[in-house]
Amino acid sequence: MLRDRGQDQGICMTTFRSMVSAAALTLAVLAPAVMAAPSTALAKGILRLAQTQDLVSLDPIATSDNASIFAQLLVFDTLLRPSKDATRLEPGLAESWQVSDDGLTYTFKLREAKFSDDTPVTAGDVAFSLKRAGSDASNWKRFFAGIDQIETPDNRTVVLKLKKVFTPLLNNLALFSSAILPQKAFEAASGSFFEKPIGSGPFTVAAWNKGQGLSLKKNTNYWQAGKPDLDGAELMVIPEGNSRVLKLQAGEIDAALEIPLNQMQSLGRAGTIKTAVANVLRSDFVLMNTKKKPFDDVRVRQALNYAVDKEGLVKALLYGAGKVSNSPMPPMAYADPDLKPYAHDIAKAKALLKEAGYADGFKTSLLVHSGRPLHRQLGQAMQSALAQIGVTAEIRLVEGGTHWATTKAGDYEMAVSYASSDTIDPDQMAGFLIVNPERANAYHTEWKSERVNELYEKERATKDGPERGAMFREMVKLAHDGAPSIFLFYPGTSYAYRSNVEGFEVLPTSNFRLEDVKLK
Amino acid sequence: MLNYVLKRLVQLVPVLFGITLACFFLLRALPGDPATLLLGARGGPEEIALLKQRLGLDLPLWRQYLLFLGDILSGSLGRSVVYGQTVSTLVLERLPATLWLVAYSTVIAVAMTVPLALLSAVKRDQPTDLLIKLVFTVLLAIPSFWLGLVLVVALAIWVPLFPTSGYGSGFLSRLHHLTLPAFVIALATASLTIRSLRSGILNVLGSDYVTTARAKGNATGRTMRVHVLPNALISSISVLGAHTSWIIGGTVVIETVFALPGLGSLFVESIFARDYPMIQGLTIVFAVLVVLINLATDIAYAVADPRIRLD
Repeated sequence: MLRDRGQDQGICMTTFRSMVSAAALTLAVLAPAVMAAPSTALAKGILRLAQTQDLVSLDPIATSDNASIFAQLLVFDTLLRPSKDATRLEPGLAESWQVSDDGLTYTFKLREAKFSDDTPVTAGDVAFSLKRAGSDASNWKRFFAGIDQIETPDNRTVVLKLKKVFTPLLNNLALFSSAILPQKAFEAASGSFFEKPIGSGPFTVAAWNKGQGLSLKKNTNYWQAGKPDLDGAELMVIPEGNSRVLKLQAGEIDAALEIPLNQMQSLGRAGTIKTAVANVLRSDFVLMNTKKKPFDDVRVRQALNYAVDKEGLVKALLYGAGKVSNSPMPPMAYADPDLKPYAHDIAKAKALLKEAGYADGFKTSLLVHSGRPLHRQLGQAMQSALAQIGVTAEIRLVEGGTHWATTKAGDYEMAVSYASSDTIDPDQMAGFLIVNPERANAYHTEWKSERVNELYEKERATKDGPERGAMFREMVKLAHDGAPSIFLFYPGTSYAYRSNVEGFEVLPTSNFRLEDVKLK
Repeated sequence: MLNYVLKRLVQLVPVLFGITLACFFLLRALPGDPATLLLGARGGPEEIALLKQRLGLDLPLWRQYLLFLGDILSGSLGRSVVYGQTVSTLVLERLPATLWLVAYSTVIAVAMTVPLALLSAVKRDQPTDLLIKLVFTVLLAIPSFWLGLVLVVALAIWVPLFPTSGYGSGFLSRLHHLTLPAFVIALATASLTIRSLRSGILNVLGSDYVTTARAKGNATGRTMRVHVLPNALISSISVLGAHTSWIIGGTVVIETVFALPGLGSLFVESIFARDYPMIQGLTIVFAVLVVLINLATDIAYAVADPRIRLD
């Protein structure tokens, strides 16, 4: 390898120059051609909204991911829907409804509405859709199991008959899985219906480019007069938070969901972009496996709740975009404003641990989902908070599938997790988070309260009203005291839009109504 | 040549068979299953059992494996659990973005490598050489997502030459959209190939036949083109081939930063969802692509150096 450098150099200089200049020339010729390529032309009246992921399917009985649900709610209608503030149900395709005094018969009067293919929405379509949602093919069968018979006395009347009172039913009818499909078109499409579905919602599907996004266009038959104002919408997939922000700043999109919280302030400062935080029905917590020592002792679980500075977490991790929680339940209907969260009280935490026989603390492990940046930070924060009362928590960072399978199998001690609700009634969430035995056995904490179970059965058979509200409040109070998890916070969902967008809002149920959006 | 290509393609069969075995059984060893994950928070024991039955996950493993082999032979590669469509349909939708990225970034990488490696070799140990080395070592060390974002800020926001992300439609628009992501990948490739080509050139420059060529009075350009470059290229071709194989499934980060619908992100999502048919099908597709790239690499050897015979 040792050679005379001068010699090499003298001989090769010209060669190299010619080669470099040739390459430079190529680049110079290519570059303008590349740059001059037309940037995508923007039609007026099309809202470009960036989401974090692509939808999986437009079939309302098959999916549970947010992107699919949001799209389904734009394309299809349900009989009822949650009001924008998530406090009550409002008319959807049903303009009115009645529940019989014994709570066993529900009668719905349909409004005059049309599907996007010009055919009218009939009682037959409703019966067909609800039967499908309650069939074996449906992943949501459980929510329609209470319906015994569906009758259609005339084209615009649907009667649901129940064998036993089931109060959450109305809420389940406002769920995306209860979307009303056109029976004829569905059967004619024989299996390919959801490639280009027909619904009565404000928008129809123009194209779905997998991995890139969904193009929607206005449904001219939509029943709400004058809506939607938009000609259409592009639901684009931009998985990376910084990329969404950059695209918003460059004006390549009009609105974006889930803005990285540390960028909210600087983004809003420019004036051309507005930022907002939606109070969604979500609650984050650290599950404790009450089947394992020392978490079988309620004093230990309470001690851990006292040990964490939750206000501090909201400030540091959420940049203030959230509220401290008082129970595992998200803040929903009937929530008790007087139920105070556990205070940050190290002395009390230590005293409780001592009482339980763990004066010197203990060693444990904390399962963390590696795909959730917020939870990775939470894991670290929990580790240092618990160290203050002598509890050493070793972090087990695992990918999502393993996290779910491990918690489900009860093969964990503590796990950072969360729950979010698609409906505004607390029944579903209570069943999932604090009832045991139920489908998740108090979200795999195996915490059990006979009184909670009893109230759950009763609540489902009690008419909506103050009496049912009192039952929920008692259940939540019991969960608060029993502390099956370390209750942390209700995080808000951040979003941002350019100032020419009017009426864009993320609702407490996390979705958005694009029929109310205007572009100036 | 044709014989050689055919022989190599026949060798694909046992390779693929081995891959089906490894991938099928290793997947089942992972914790979690698609039915449980798909139903998520709402899935009770009955729902999960019902879905498993619908997906055929309740069958004995050997029967599931045979069904999988059947799916490969039929060309559908099975049906995705998450998307409910055949794997081949889903792969074909995403394949173009990946192939675009691979091809475009390779072209840019080669276009950068040849002149820069020559410059570096010729100016050996001089400031220019050191600068090139320094810049590309730093580039190799920089995480690609960060480099991607910096380029977006500089070339899409400050000086809006390129779109910040997206895939575009139509040849020119696609070229325009993919320039930044392809460039980021190309920088990583080039930092490896420039090094290997530089040392290759230095090696060859010292050999007797180059001295002879010069002594004969050959013009320097001709010496470089005919005598130096072809002989120096071999090791760089293998580096390029290996790196290109890696790009096929390894562009997840770039796909995420630039919102591109490629195979890498589909693969990672499928693993998170334990979408068995999708993961299996994609593994097969990746294997075929890697084998094809290796084949192309071997052919490139023979083209660069006629002494190498393919048989």
